[in-house]
Amino acid sequence: MTQTPEPTPFTQAGDTRTSAKISRDTISAVSVAVLCVLLLLSARLVSPALGSWTQVETVLVLGFFLVVLSYGQGLVILSGGLDLSLPATITLGGILATSWVGANDPNAWYLLPVVLMICGLVGLMSGIGVVWLKVPPFIMTMAMSIIVASALLGYTNGTPRGAAPTAAVALMKTELLGLPTPVIVLVAFVAMGWLFQSRSIYGRYLYAIGTNLDAARIAGVPVTMMQILPYVISAMCAGFVGIALVGYSSGATLRMGDDYLLPSIAAVVIGGSSILGGRGTNLGTVGGAILLTTLGTIISALGMEFGLRTVIEGSIVLFALLLLREELFQKLRNLWR
Amino acid sequence: MLGARHDAARAVGEAHSVALLAEGLRKAYGATVALEHADISLAAGKVHALLGENGAGKSTLVRILTGAVRPDAGTLELNGSYYAPQTLIEARSYGVATAFQELSLVPNLTVAQNLLLPDMPRGPLGLVSFRRVLEMGSDILARHGLQRIDPATQVALLPLAERQRIEIVRAMENASSLLILDEPTAALAETDWLFDRIRMMTARNVAVLYISHRLAEVREICSDATVLRNGRSIASVGLAEASDDDIFEMMVGRRVDHTARNRAASRLSDAAPRLSVKGLSGHGLKDISFELRPGEVLGIAALEGQGQRGLFRMLAGLTVPERGAVQIDGLPTTLSSPRQALRAASGIAYLPEERKTEGILAGLTAATNVVLPVLPGAAYAAMITPQAELRAAGPSATKVDMSPRYLDFAIGDLSGGNQQKALVARTLATGAKTLLLFDPTRGVDVGTKQSIYAAIRAFAEQGGSVIFYSSELPEVVQLADRCLALYDGRVFQAFEGDAIAEQALVAAIHGHAGGHH
Repeated sequence: MTQTPEPTPFTQAGDTRTSAKISRDTISAVSVAVLCVLLLLSARLVSPALGSWTQVETVLVLGFFLVVLSYGQGLVILSGGLDLSLPATITLGGILATSWVGANDPNAWYLLPVVLMICGLVGLMSGIGVVWLKVPPFIMTMAMSIIVASALLGYTNGTPRGAAPTAAVALMKTELLGLPTPVIVLVAFVAMGWLFQSRSIYGRYLYAIGTNLDAARIAGVPVTMMQILPYVISAMCAGFVGIALVGYSSGATLRMGDDYLLPSIAAVVIGGSSILGGRGTNLGTVGGAILLTTLGTIISALGMEFGLRTVIEGSIVLFALLLLREELFQKLRNLWR
Repeated sequence: MLGARHDAARAVGEAHSVALLAEGLRKAYGATVALEHADISLAAGKVHALLGENGAGKSTLVRILTGAVRPDAGTLELNGSYYAPQTLIEARSYGVATAFQELSLVPNLTVAQNLLLPDMPRGPLGLVSFRRVLEMGSDILARHGLQRIDPATQVALLPLAERQRIEIVRAMENASSLLILDEPTAALAETDWLFDRIRMMTARNVAVLYISHRLAEVREICSDATVLRNGRSIASVGLAEASDDDIFEMMVGRRVDHTARNRAASRLSDAAPRLSVKGLSGHGLKDISFELRPGEVLGIAALEGQGQRGLFRMLAGLTVPERGAVQIDGLPTTLSSPRQALRAASGIAYLPEERKTEGILAGLTAATNVVLPVLPGAAYAAMITPQAELRAAGPSATKVDMSPRYLDFAIGDLSGGNQQKALVARTLATGAKTLLLFDPTRGVDVGTKQSIYAAIRAFAEQGGSVIFYSSELPEVVQLADRCLALYDGRVFQAFEGDAIAEQALVAAIHGHAGGHH
């Protein structure tokens, strides 16, 4: 059989293939990291107290919540969905940790996994609604959000009681190996998250269904299970953030999760993921979360109002979306060479 | 009488003025030449047929005439003056309108609105007047003998046949010089109404271009025909003087038999059937039964839309049959999903029709695309590295002659040929003993075709079973041990061994049994 020469996928002469393999994912992750460092350094100009190592530690501790949360959101977005129930699920985790675990026995650390599983159940219901009942993700998760928030209002009679479990306080307020414990936990979390998303078969399946659900189904991917799973993980991440927030601030409120929804989506988008699914890395998302936290810290340090911070965050998301448009990105890739 | 018709066909230029004259039309999409050189001349007041196999260039020619695409070369004249429509609307302003096969109605608007789009009658305030729309719509329907259709009905609620009639009526309303009917009888049970309407159009001196694969119908209404083959207009003939066999031959060509079967039957004829299908119906398929044995390559030959898609999608587990039973290795099986089809007994792997929308996962590497169905097997404790994927994909890539160096590229960046090779490699990688290949060489270059043929043969020689559909008959002739010609959802004729010849197949897929000698 004669072998016809393969038409090369790229029209330019020479082997441009290696450079083409510096994928947009890599560029996004690196850009975000560089931006983070620049931001921290330039913060020094504003106030010498900023940009120091202590400041970096603070950012990492504060960033803990957003990194964990946006990992779950990132998985849902990767699979082609969206999770708007995160604030309510954070509150669920926080309230269960204080009003149930903390109020009865603050030392009962073994009940915290149960709290996570209850949160996971919320995600399971969202996932089932999306996959089996075919409710659009954003309606389904918003509905779950309202249901959970209302249930919590009833459960607490409007005033959460109880104390933070000692394990949650230990997680956020102690040091390990000379570093704040949350930073250590964060590193471990990111490593595990990376293994799951980039090195497990389930991660591959998520990329596949987010890229093209029909093609994934034809390729034999267990699409039903893989569409539900990210909602469960996302809800458990939110529950974990709820517990951590309780440990950090020693109490729960009914609105403790409210400020996290937009940042969780923003971190994913800034990190270079496609909002339509199928593309993105969790390292990019981590970068996005740290970047947003750094920005928030600087804005507070400058004494700006919270409202302004939200405006800036919103603008960043919009800018990131514009940047992610294919043609603009192609341009950037050509500049990179 | 026959002589008179004959003469009339000859004397096109004299008795009837030329409505449309096209010369040297050419259109290429990238490297694919859809239309190479087409000449056609349509006389006012006559019905002219456009004939040709799938992919001969009929649709491209229609698109050029209606302004949907612009030709790369060639000239068009309409009623003696230069004609180069840029859009469908512009073509319509010249009196050229088309009833498309895939219907161009807006489903959630009413019948009347669809008939009048895009120019709705307006009331005093410049707003669309619904009353006037309904009045005008019902006038149009009445003119075409369709009073039974309520102009206020939403189009989506009408049965397919009525929708097709609406599509045709709308084209007729807009066609003052040229009416193009693309497979107008696809959804119509009888032709009386349509032919009646066409005769009314020709009486008004409108030229009609009629595209259909039903030759009997073409002979009834058309006087002349132009045959397209591989993007070229082969001949324009008076239908009275050409026999069916002549026409089939023009469509297929006097090909030197280089597509001859160069394959010894590798079928183990006495083995138990691997796949047994009984009375399968639904999704365009009507009561199909066949058996597939180990080592056998079964070709499906059919025109567009004869139920082959339903057959493949049902066997792949994508759609549920209305009736019928499937046995794999003698075990009754319900195929509920592609994943389950892969795992049912010795397994069925499916190569989908649309490479871009159902096949490749563009952002993932070619290796991931190949090993996706068997990912757990390539992984260690559910963990997988890109290197492990490359190793697992390698052997299958080799079988389809795909260079391993392409495996770690995003599959979306590869050429169409390599994408297709990767998808064929995926079906081989699944380890399934039955492959369902829907048009396995669609849109790939000659070298890739040969590689895919070789892979299919090697698979069959090792005892695998293959069912494939191809829109190219030479491919069926070259590859199949046995062939089923589908027509209107049924097996019209079955061929075996050396009886699989192109001319016979062309006749069979057009529903002409006697075509073979």
